[in-house]
Amino acid sequence: MSDTENPETASEVRTENTVEADEFEPIQVFPESEEMDLRPGSDDCYKCSTCDTNCPVAAVDDEFPGPKFQGPEQWRLKRKDDHDIDDSVMSCSNCMRCDDACPSDVPLSQMHNTARGSFVENQMDKLSREYVRNRILANYGALARLGSKVPRLTNFVMGNSVVQKFNEKLLGITSERDFPAFADETFRTWWKRRGGVAASKKRAQDARAERDGANVESDDKRVAYFHGCYSNYNTPAVGKAMVRVFERFGYEVMVPPQRCSGTPMFANGMLDDAERAAEVNVRELAAAIEDGADIVASCTSCSMSLRQEYPELFDFEGTASVAARTYEALEYLRVHEDLEGALDDAEIDGEGDAESENFAYHAPCHARNQGLAGQAVELLDRLEGANAEDVGDSCSGISGTYGWKDEKYDTSMQIGAEMFDHMESVEGETGLTECPTCAMQMEHGTGYEIRHPLEVLEEALVD
Amino acid sequence: MASTPHTVVVGGGSTGCGIARDLAMRGVDVSLVEKGNLTHGTTGRMHGLLHSGGRYAVSDQASARECIEENRVLRDIASHCVELTGGQFVQLEDDPDEYFEEKLQGCRDCDIPAEVLSAEEAREEEPYLTKDVKRAIRVPDGAVDPFRLCVANAADAQRHGARIETHAEVVDVLTDGTEVTGVEVRHDSGPGKREHVTPGERERIDADYVINAAGAWAGQIGAMAGVDVAVRPSKGAMVVMNCRQVDTVVNRCVPKGDADIVVPHETTAILGTTDVEVEDPEDYPEEQWEVDLMIDELSKLVPILREARTVRSFWGVRPLYEPPGTGTADPTDITRDYFLLDHDDRDDLAGFTSIVGGKFTTYRMMAEEISDHVCEKFGVSATCRTADEPLPGSEDFSVLRDYMEEFGLRSPIGRRSVQRLGSRADDVLKTGEPNPVLCDCEAVTRAEIRDAIDQSGTDLNAVRIRTRASMGNCQGGFCCHRMASELHPEYDAPQADAALDELFEERWKGERHALWGEQLSQAALNYALHATTMNRDRDPGDATVDFGAFDSGADDLHEEVNHGD
Repeated sequence: MSDTENPETASEVRTENTVEADEFEPIQVFPESEEMDLRPGSDDCYKCSTCDTNCPVAAVDDEFPGPKFQGPEQWRLKRKDDHDIDDSVMSCSNCMRCDDACPSDVPLSQMHNTARGSFVENQMDKLSREYVRNRILANYGALARLGSKVPRLTNFVMGNSVVQKFNEKLLGITSERDFPAFADETFRTWWKRRGGVAASKKRAQDARAERDGANVESDDKRVAYFHGCYSNYNTPAVGKAMVRVFERFGYEVMVPPQRCSGTPMFANGMLDDAERAAEVNVRELAAAIEDGADIVASCTSCSMSLRQEYPELFDFEGTASVAARTYEALEYLRVHEDLEGALDDAEIDGEGDAESENFAYHAPCHARNQGLAGQAVELLDRLEGANAEDVGDSCSGISGTYGWKDEKYDTSMQIGAEMFDHMESVEGETGLTECPTCAMQMEHGTGYEIRHPLEVLEEALVD
Repeated sequence: MASTPHTVVVGGGSTGCGIARDLAMRGVDVSLVEKGNLTHGTTGRMHGLLHSGGRYAVSDQASARECIEENRVLRDIASHCVELTGGQFVQLEDDPDEYFEEKLQGCRDCDIPAEVLSAEEAREEEPYLTKDVKRAIRVPDGAVDPFRLCVANAADAQRHGARIETHAEVVDVLTDGTEVTGVEVRHDSGPGKREHVTPGERERIDADYVINAAGAWAGQIGAMAGVDVAVRPSKGAMVVMNCRQVDTVVNRCVPKGDADIVVPHETTAILGTTDVEVEDPEDYPEEQWEVDLMIDELSKLVPILREARTVRSFWGVRPLYEPPGTGTADPTDITRDYFLLDHDDRDDLAGFTSIVGGKFTTYRMMAEEISDHVCEKFGVSATCRTADEPLPGSEDFSVLRDYMEEFGLRSPIGRRSVQRLGSRADDVLKTGEPNPVLCDCEAVTRAEIRDAIDQSGTDLNAVRIRTRASMGNCQGGFCCHRMASELHPEYDAPQADAALDELFEERWKGERHALWGEQLSQAALNYALHATTMNRDRDPGDATVDFGAFDSGADDLHEEVNHGD
């Protein structure tokens, strides 16, 4: 789990955990065993219900029994031969706030993920509309790969209200939301066109030379970018900003082959899909670590998945190493560079004749879990011309694919209501967040333009 | 002699309840008296093992044969109290090979199905077993809930006309010099169902025959009649873990020793045990070393136990007996066999028999033997049917149901409820009323609590043993008061308060010797919650609360809706 509360010691703390895990680590005992036994995790629960009071779904949905029931209680009631999982586990949005809320380290989201995986595998009809819909949503990355080959056509078709109604009626995907548009050019295409890692090496060297006056070869400053699906297919501007900002600090950026981080697959109980994707990601990222890179993600759900869910659910060679060496982009720069100093010396222009630009910042739940909830506001406070205001600690309500489901849409919007309200009271009409689906929700609820902190950093720091 | 002699059974443990059922089914008029609630003595303080006989297969083959025979019977007649977990005798690297072979041969000699498992196979079945496993023998051990089994026996006895009086302590056994003529009991409240704050009375119960089935207390009952029953009570400590680390019974395959068994019991695992002779079955030291020994020794077998959460510990007293003059020094060597002591033959006191020794697993067989004995005396020709007729709850049933559809319960709650209630599930759970979960840890709903209150009055410990409410990881912190409030309005507030106090005290008693780590946090949280929300850390004085002034909840809401219409 994240150690980011102590950034100054983070590099010492986050060494690879290669010691043989405790003898009784459930996934270590019989690696070939498909079943995970998390009953011992219930030992840590003393029923205080803090998780329930922090659950955004339980707050608006009286039918949802909450994380304490879903996790430690349901696991503890299990006997070896009991396989039925209560279907309410499908109402959990996997925001993972309960992990953070628990004062006693109950592995709640691990329990929910495994219970949901088991429910989907053993109890959900594979021909049902819900299963097909969830499988499609969970595998957004694979569909996006196809759709983005002909982005204009796809955007036209998906934006068509007839198609949206069709999606709702046939698949149960809400027609209330506009399908996110595909970019004309994916991030990876841009990256290749720009010259790939060789070009990045050159730019990083130039930046170091400009700053330090020496054209040193340095293997130390190398990061592997985990862009995830959304920055690649939908918002390549975020990916480009990441590359340019890191190069500005003298980092050579690598972009290893990669698949979806697995976040939407966990949330839909598609653990086999997630495992296949994770295997590729761990292999490729572990290779990058071998080459001397740390892993940096721009999406906080992607970094959450690599850091916490992979080691909790899988056991590939290198999983622990990847988890220990993964960072969110701003976090990485705060730990390793004088990002604060750089921002002190920089400025951005407000839009039009405004003196400064105001950002309504929402911290995604998964950023919160990594201890990153405060960093964007703190950093932008130092930047002249920027004024970021935290819109409160509620969940945005969309939770990835959750808010796309027809039957969950209302719940999703009820959860988001507080955030919308607070956004409205911030001056200006620009939102800011690290999570692509929180961004969709923020835009959907307020009509604001939503940006990523890296884009602001790019504007401030990159010429 | 009349064909319906009146027999008094002293002791509401497994043996006493078994005897009451057996006799009642044969048409004998039976009254059972028990000083606490059912299972109050040794029955409620065992580790819940349904013996396959494997444990006695080397040292005591006669007992082993009885065990496997009764094991098969109980799986049949008490299926809702029994879980067919299977068991293993596990040999670790340094444990003697010879004993392993002896054990295997012993099982085969006694017709106990036994199969050798490789280390790999043993760990595949029980992943938390230590890596030091050499091999194991698989036997048909099981887990049994002694509470529900006893309650079901008593309920069936009642159904066949028996009178069951709990909280009725025998204060004297009445004799006319040559014959026992009855007993005098002191009712804690009543007679009848227990009601706190209600004064009890003494009652003389005349009997044609008295059976002393008081277990470790049999010597005391014997003394009241002036006969010597030399029970040698031996205490054993057990530790309850928060959750199941194993799903089969895990025994260590060594000749004999303390702390050599882990039994999966309902939602928990129970570690056992020690064997130390004591003077008085009610007053003996509960020592910390016994608890520590369980964890130290058994974590060699199941290493996760060292770090795992304990919720409580308890001690039971075995009613061991050996014929006068045997003089075995070490209580672990005393036979586990049972003895029927007819005091007419032995002490020239007619109308009185004691049954001593024995094991929980063979309770029914013991009951059958003594019932045969009594029936023979009175010329009752009916034969024993207890091995064939299922207990109430164990008539045909399946736990595979659509819990949401049928009972409106979430699946793990419905499943646990049906596992507990067996064939009674429909009667108990289909009330047509809202049925919230009152005990979250053990998934016990209001309907089940109310059913138990119907059976046992204000005795919340009796409700507890019927339902498992308050037996989970919070040890009643979140549910004792919910259980107590179900007593109202049938019983009034002072009665509910007294019942709540008693349940709390009982819960706390067992927590004291296993209070560290998470369970200590739990106790602290329970204390804080009860002190701050119910003022239970202070003497409430005689403040009367106007309960009528409180919002009654759903009904008002309902009315409001109706008003709106």
